[in-house]
Amino acid sequence: MAGLVVLAAVVVTAAAAPLLAPYDPNAQLDIVALKDQAPSLAHPFGTDPLSRDVLSRVLVGGRVSLAAAVLAVAIATTVGAAYGAISGYAGGKVDSIMMRVVDACLAVPRVLLLIAVLALWGRVALGPLILVLGLTGWFGVSRIVRAEVMALKTRDWVAAARALGAGPGRTLFRHIIPNVISPVIVSATLAVANIITLEAGLSFLGLGVQPPQASWGSIMQDGAGEVRALWWLSVFPGLAILVTVMAVNAVGDGLRAVVVAKDS
Amino acid sequence: MTAAHHPKAAAPPALLSVQSLVKHFPVARGVLGRHVSTVRAVNGVSFDLASGETLGLVGESGCGKTTTGRAILRLIEPTSGRVVFDGVDLLGLDPGALRRMRRRMQIVFQDPYSSLNPRMTVGAAVREGLTIHRLAEGAEADARVRRLLEEVGLRAEHATRYPHEFSGGQRQRIGIARALSVEPDFIVCDEPVSALDVSVQAQVINLLYDLQRARGLTYVFIAHDLSVVAHVATRVAVMYLGRIVELAPAAEVYERPVMPYTKALLSAVPVADPRSASRRIVLKGEVASPAHPPAGCVFHPRCPHPLKDATCAEIVPPLEEKAPGHWAACIKEPIQDRAS
Amino acid sequence: MPLLIRNFRTSFYTDEGVARAVDGVSLTVSPGETLGVVGESGCGKSVTALSILRLVRPPGKIEPGSTIELDGQDVLALDDAALRHVRGNRIAMVFQEPMTALNPVLTVGEQIAEVVRVHEPRASRQEAWDRAVDMLDRMGIPGAADRAHHYPHELSGGTRQRVMIAMALVMNPAVLIADEPTTALDVTVQAQILELLADLQRRLGMAVLLITHDLGVVAGVATRVAVMYAGEIVEEASVGDFFARPHHPYATGLLHAMPRLGARRERLEVIPGAVPSPTAWPDGCRFRARCQFAWERCATEHPPLYHVTSEHTSRCHLAVEPERRGSANGPQRSRLGDRASV
Repeated sequence: MAGLVVLAAVVVTAAAAPLLAPYDPNAQLDIVALKDQAPSLAHPFGTDPLSRDVLSRVLVGGRVSLAAAVLAVAIATTVGAAYGAISGYAGGKVDSIMMRVVDACLAVPRVLLLIAVLALWGRVALGPLILVLGLTGWFGVSRIVRAEVMALKTRDWVAAARALGAGPGRTLFRHIIPNVISPVIVSATLAVANIITLEAGLSFLGLGVQPPQASWGSIMQDGAGEVRALWWLSVFPGLAILVTVMAVNAVGDGLRAVVVAKDS
Repeated sequence: MTAAHHPKAAAPPALLSVQSLVKHFPVARGVLGRHVSTVRAVNGVSFDLASGETLGLVGESGCGKTTTGRAILRLIEPTSGRVVFDGVDLLGLDPGALRRMRRRMQIVFQDPYSSLNPRMTVGAAVREGLTIHRLAEGAEADARVRRLLEEVGLRAEHATRYPHEFSGGQRQRIGIARALSVEPDFIVCDEPVSALDVSVQAQVINLLYDLQRARGLTYVFIAHDLSVVAHVATRVAVMYLGRIVELAPAAEVYERPVMPYTKALLSAVPVADPRSASRRIVLKGEVASPAHPPAGCVFHPRCPHPLKDATCAEIVPPLEEKAPGHWAACIKEPIQDRAS
Repeated sequence: MPLLIRNFRTSFYTDEGVARAVDGVSLTVSPGETLGVVGESGCGKSVTALSILRLVRPPGKIEPGSTIELDGQDVLALDDAALRHVRGNRIAMVFQEPMTALNPVLTVGEQIAEVVRVHEPRASRQEAWDRAVDMLDRMGIPGAADRAHHYPHELSGGTRQRVMIAMALVMNPAVLIADEPTTALDVTVQAQILELLADLQRRLGMAVLLITHDLGVVAGVATRVAVMYAGEIVEEASVGDFFARPHHPYATGLLHAMPRLGARRERLEVIPGAVPSPTAWPDGCRFRARCQFAWERCATEHPPLYHVTSEHTSRCHLAVEPERRGSANGPQRSRLGDRASV
């Protein structure tokens, strides 16, 4: 519950970021006087090597990080759920083959895969980045959905639907999938937290969000050269990530508890 | 099973004719899914059913009665055999024709807690059949749903509620309403009252009984409880390990059972009369696994028949008409001359 | 040394309110006797059984004022160590579902032997094992010495139930509580197990509390019957007397609603309506909404357990106003469908 409140606060702040940000996040304010300033009253989060206000960048960066995570998870969940549902419902050889593909994909560590793809691609715009994040993340969802579908397809109410004359499509989408939603939502919520961290890491490495775009990871990237001296460039985005991820995880756990209670 | 041994109902043409129905489940084991053994769930079941009849299909766990019920409807694909419904060979139908045929044959399930989709309202569940077969839409469909709910003893306002808000008996009624929605001629009742309390059971049995008379339904009523079957069946088929071992009009089975297994089954039913307990025939051992049925007569290891001998372990007894209309599968029971 | 239960109350404190699952139950189970407690879902019979051994977990709670006495000892007042001495040793329990009551990762021999070792710490492993095998043999399991090495999933339902009974009886308890011991079994296997229980009781002389929903089982095995409804005992009598002259309208309703082997394609007599919710037991007689004889007194006065004869009690005002049986002015029994109440 506390997680929900915090998360709500984070989301609202991110949504309202352009209004809240005291300065234009990309504006280089005063290259000489305001470069690399430690936190002060005028700039609570300090400024970065390009004299940009870090607070503004953190706020706007939050929008990017959150939006990217949510969209990427949406893509991953849709693709994964569809794939897993079809595989689970079909069963037999089709299922075996489809799952072997997934097993192979899961064998590759996601981070390495992302690094490889993004490094080869070069400077990736935000859209394609979200797409890549999503398309590398659907394997786990497909396994979850497949397992649920296989368990549900033997239930009597599914047999009843078939007995009434429902075809495979109707049976799957109207009778099975609505019962699969709950664990998928839980998994998706936790995936959001995961992608926030992932994106931050990639941006930190320079592979994710490209400058001058602000995201929590890219802000940290700006301070990568002198972490000790320009500590505010690591600490504040880091804290933002920490708080958001913990809040999302708390919400995900809470959802899981509700789902478990409801289904039993 | 040859035509000569095929138990037929009386003169009117059968609505349902099941011939040598077989369903085997291969059991796979190991990493590569090697075929290890076969569960012979249904091993040659044949019977005819006339319109308006109720065939009580009884037996204990593992006898194959539930599999038979579902195989007749092609909810499980039979391994071999024929199912002829109103002159149509069900097993030869393509998916489209099968779907149209499904309107005429429905099923009511045993477990009230898994027979309804927890995410669908009662109304939506009952309306599903109307939508699939384009029987009614919109307001007309809603009206039909309300009428169906009332017909099974519920109220129209229940349509907006979810299954978890109802008791076991009420859920069974909803399942019955759902089956009735497409106006079937034939319903497989798969242990419809086994999971219910006695007083609720009585209500649902009465409902099924009344509906049969009001709508001219034909039932295959699957149960393990012989006393329940007595209230609804016109004929009774006793199953054991995938085969029918006795098939006769209900009164015949209850009053003049032929098979040792049937006699034991009848005597084992707990009766609400303290004086009857001493006449119980207690069988030794338990039902063998359908994956490894005994050779010859599948019942012979437990059979208390006085004339049991080595041939019982060699010969699979055919279902023979021991008396008019009364079929039994035992090589030691003579075909009776009907004197009376 | 009978088991005495007096004024027993177990309640569940839930979000929907307080469910008074067992609401003032008094029973006596004597050695050599089988008391059959009969009722349908929600009557409180299983909760009673679990409460005797204090197996009820929160939000369930045994209310103060309840007493359970064995050998003059109050079971509810025992500390944990003393309670462990009672459970499995003086009072043993057999459950309905042997598959979930047995530990799947231990052989059946080990599970029985464990009971021995817990209660007789000085017994050696070999002694405990030998006693386990001996019990399996006495349960009529062929090849007991070999079977003891099997795991529960390798055994059939009937054999698993025999194992459960063996575990319960290995310490020769004074009281055996059997909670629907045969409900999950096939009818022919049920007959075997009931005969086994009757035989064991004859030889060991323990007191047996048999919980079941099946009046047929009670007729076959019990010496006395107690019918429960809505958390209370509504009738109690010897088995012969109960089936010959049932008194309480719920009991007679239940007997008429039972399907009979002798029936031929006929409707059953039903008890209209449904059990009230345990969070809101009605005032007065809890059965009155479903009773064809109910009159004004039933709505205002909660009937005590009247004596119909010295050994036969019934919680029904008809016991003191029997002439009311002549006029049935309660809820009418409908024909088609027998309306299900909400």
